[in-house]
Amino acid sequence: MLVLAFGFYKAMTAPTEATMGNLYRVFFYHFPHASESYLFPYLNCGASFLYLYWRGRNPARALAADAFALASAEIAVLYTTLGLATGMLWGRAAWGIWWTWDARLTTYLLLWLLYVSYILLRRFAAPDQTALLSAVLAIFAAIDIPICYMSIRWWRTQHPAPVFGGGADSGIDPSMWPAVLWNVAGWLMWGIFLLGLRYSLERRRQARAAAATEHFLGNIALTEAQ
Amino acid sequence: MTIPFSTLPQRHLVYAYCIVWLLQFGYGTWVAINWFREKRS
Repeated sequence: MLVLAFGFYKAMTAPTEATMGNLYRVFFYHFPHASESYLFPYLNCGASFLYLYWRGRNPARALAADAFALASAEIAVLYTTLGLATGMLWGRAAWGIWWTWDARLTTYLLLWLLYVSYILLRRFAAPDQTALLSAVLAIFAAIDIPICYMSIRWWRTQHPAPVFGGGADSGIDPSMWPAVLWNVAGWLMWGIFLLGLRYSLERRRQARAAAATEHFLGNIALTEAQ
Repeated sequence: MTIPFSTLPQRHLVYAYCIVWLLQFGYGTWVAINWFREKRS
């Protein structure tokens, strides 16, 4: 929280940009959320691979991997939603439009839709199939991440060219770096904290569900014995 | 630094920061509440 507070202070006190004025300060929140929204889907994909690997070998570990996959998918939806929302607010003020169907925006919307559908699948699929189906969807969904990341390099888009690592003309003024780095670090730490808390919550739910099933099966065995 | 709320770009800057705090801390609060509920049950 301290890092986030300091990041906010740095974002508000960074020098004003020449063409956009204060509006460019959206970048200090848009960039951390958009860039970190590529990290959590990869964690989700990795956990889903582990779930599929452990499914037949080690059910206890598979359950832990499934809980981690769900937690990382929820954080991915949260960060992608904020990447979209801050981008649209910025776009409306800078370009005069809320949305355009260019390659970056479209693939990013697709990323959001894929992880929202993952959450919906987990909510509405038959309980005995939920983990398997969602693991397969997670691996399929991860294909969109590199396409979305590379879209501004592969195609000419309304979205600006890469600010970092985009060639000789890319980059920001050195005086803006502290605000970028503090906010990237702050929102990353916050995301990892949320991920840990959500994973812990899901593990508790799994433990309660396992205890309830055990209790139910025990009652059935008792009834049959009588 | 002051942010005059009268122009669209300044307004959208405020909206962007507010939506980030609302969703991030709203979701964090929801997870924390459920975490404590599960702990008690």
